[in-house]
Amino acid sequence: MLSLVTRQNLLAEKTRFAISVGGIALSVFLISFLLSLYQGWKLNVGRFVERVEADVWVAREGTSDFIAAASILPNDMQGELEALDGVRRVDPVVVRPMRFEETNANASTHLVGYDTESGVGGPVRWTKGKEVPGPGEAIIDATYGRVAGVSMGDTLRFGGRELEVAGVSTGGDFVFSQTTFVTLDEARSLLGMADLTTFYLVQLEDGADVDAFTSSVEDAFPGVVALTSDEFADTTRNRVMASVVPILIVILFLAFVVGVAITGLTIYNATVEKAREFGILKAIGFTNGYLYRLVLEQSLVTGLLGFAIGVGLTVLGSRFASDFVPQFVTLVRWQDLTLVLGATLLMSVIAALLPVRRIAGVDPVMVFNT
Amino acid sequence: MANGRAVLEFHDVSKVYTTGAVDVWALRDITLSVQEREVISIMGPSGAGKTTFLTIAGALMRPTSGRVIGSGADATALDERRLPRLRQEKIGFIFQNFNLLDALTALQNVQLVMATRGIAGRGAEARVHALLGAVGMEHRQGNLPKMLSGGEKQRVAIARALANNPDLILADEPTANLDSKRGREIMELLRMVAKELGKTVITVSHDLRIRDLADRVLWLEDGHLQEIAAGEHLPGEFSR
Repeated sequence: MLSLVTRQNLLAEKTRFAISVGGIALSVFLISFLLSLYQGWKLNVGRFVERVEADVWVAREGTSDFIAAASILPNDMQGELEALDGVRRVDPVVVRPMRFEETNANASTHLVGYDTESGVGGPVRWTKGKEVPGPGEAIIDATYGRVAGVSMGDTLRFGGRELEVAGVSTGGDFVFSQTTFVTLDEARSLLGMADLTTFYLVQLEDGADVDAFTSSVEDAFPGVVALTSDEFADTTRNRVMASVVPILIVILFLAFVVGVAITGLTIYNATVEKAREFGILKAIGFTNGYLYRLVLEQSLVTGLLGFAIGVGLTVLGSRFASDFVPQFVTLVRWQDLTLVLGATLLMSVIAALLPVRRIAGVDPVMVFNT
Repeated sequence: MANGRAVLEFHDVSKVYTTGAVDVWALRDITLSVQEREVISIMGPSGAGKTTFLTIAGALMRPTSGRVIGSGADATALDERRLPRLRQEKIGFIFQNFNLLDALTALQNVQLVMATRGIAGRGAEARVHALLGAVGMEHRQGNLPKMLSGGEKQRVAIARALANNPDLILADEPTANLDSKRGREIMELLRMVAKELGKTVITVSHDLRIRDLADRVLWLEDGHLQEIAAGEHLPGEFSR
C-alpha cells in the first residue's frame, strides 16, 4: 500500500517528478560517463607499450615512461645489449613528442621511428593505407588524424622536411598525444639523432629471468635503467592518469552533490507540501517510521528511475562520444555501473534524510478543524 | 446512558495551554465514561475545548493531568511510540474536511488504513468492499475524492474509520460541510454504526439539527463538561 501512496504522490506532481528524475539522470550520466572515460583512457594509454614485442625497455636513468620519452642512448649500446646472456634480440626505437607544422594547435604526437623490417615498436593495429612506412612516409594514429585534421595523402611538415601520410593505425592513443610512425632512419634524420636511440626493446630467450636481466643491465650500464614491459606500461599509464584523475574526482564529487541537491530539494519540497497528508496519516495511526519509509520509497523510486535513464544516456553517449571528441575513448563496465548504482542509492537515502525532521515535527492535531 | 463495557473513560482530565505567563484551561477536571454502542454529541461555543477533548480522546495529545482509559488501556501511561498503534487498532477518525488522500481512490483510502496493520490480500479486499457497501459507496469505490460530493466523501471517511474495526469512532464536525439533508444522513449512518456494528461514536459538533440522533449531549464551555438532558435547552447564546 505504501508503494501505492508513493506512486500516487510521485505522479501527482509530474513536472517536479520529471525534474527530480532528470537531476538524478544528469548526475548519473556525468558520473558513469566520466568513469567510462577513465576506464577507456586507462585501458588505451598503456596498450601501446603492452603490445610492443619486448620483455624489457632499456632507457636512460631518470626515464620513467613512454610519454616523457626523456631518454638518449648511444647506438653502439645495441651490440652490447645483444651480447648479454639470455637476450634473443634487441631493437632500437626513436621516440619524441612533437607537433607538426600547420596542424591543429592541440594536436600533439609522439613520433616513433622503428625498425620496419622487424616491426618491433611499430603500429599496434593497421587500419588503412600502407602497413609499413617507407622513406618520407608516416603512419598516423586514427585519433591523431582526427585531432590534427590530417588524413591519408596529406603532408606533415617539420623543420623543412615533409612526410606523406601513407597509412592509419590504432592503439597508439595516449589521450593528450598519439603516435606517428616512421622508419628508424627517417626519425633519426628528422630529429637529428643519427647516433642516438631513445629506447632499446629487448626480447629475452624463453625461460630467462626478467628481473635478473634488468638488474644485470643496470649493473653493466651505469646511468641506464631497465624496466619490464609491464612496469613501463604501468608508469606510462600512471603518467597520463595522474593528471586526469584529480579533475575527474572533482567533477565526480560535484555531479554527486548536484544529484543530492536536486533530489533532496524536490523531495523536501514535496514533503513540505504534503505536510497535511502526513498529518492525516499520523492521525490514523501511521508511525513516523512508516512515513520515513514512504519518503525513502519516493526518493528511491526517483533515484532508480534517474539511474536507468542516466545509464541509458551513458551507453548512448559513449557510443558516439569519439565522434564529437576524438580523444574520448570510453569503456562502460558493469562494475562501474554497480558503483554508480550504489552512489545513486546513497543520493536517494541522503535526499530522504533531509525532510526527516520536518516529518517528525508534523503534528497530527493540525488536521482537526481545518 | 447505554449499559455495557466502557470504551472511553476520562478521570479528572485537565488540559492547560500556557502562552507566555497566561494559562488557558481548555479542559478542567473532566470525568466521563462512554459505553459501547453509545452515540455522544459534544457541543459548545468556538474555542470551548471541543477539539482538545477530541484529540485527547484520540490519543493524539496528552492531558496536563488526569487519566484517559481507552478500551481498558491507560492511554496516558502509554509510551509515546505506542500511541500510533492504539490509534490504529482502537480508534477511527472522521474529520470535518473529510481528509481523504486526494491521490487515492475511495477504495484505496480505506485500504490504506488496513495497511497500517499489515492487513492485505483477498480478505482485506472483501472487507473494504463490505465497508463501502455498508456506507452506500461501493459503486463509487474507483473514484478519486475530487469526483465525490461532500456527503460521499464523508461516507468514504466513515468506511475508512471503520477499516480496522475500532471500538471508538471520533468525529470532528462531521456534518459541518454538508447540507442539512446530507448532514442528517451522515449522522444516521453514524448512529447505525454504533447500534448495529457495536461501535462507540463521539461527535463534536455545532449542528443542533442532529442533536436528537445522539444518546447523550454534553456541553463543553470554559473547560467544563456538563450533560444536557433530553429536551433541555443548550446554555447561553449558542442554544438560540
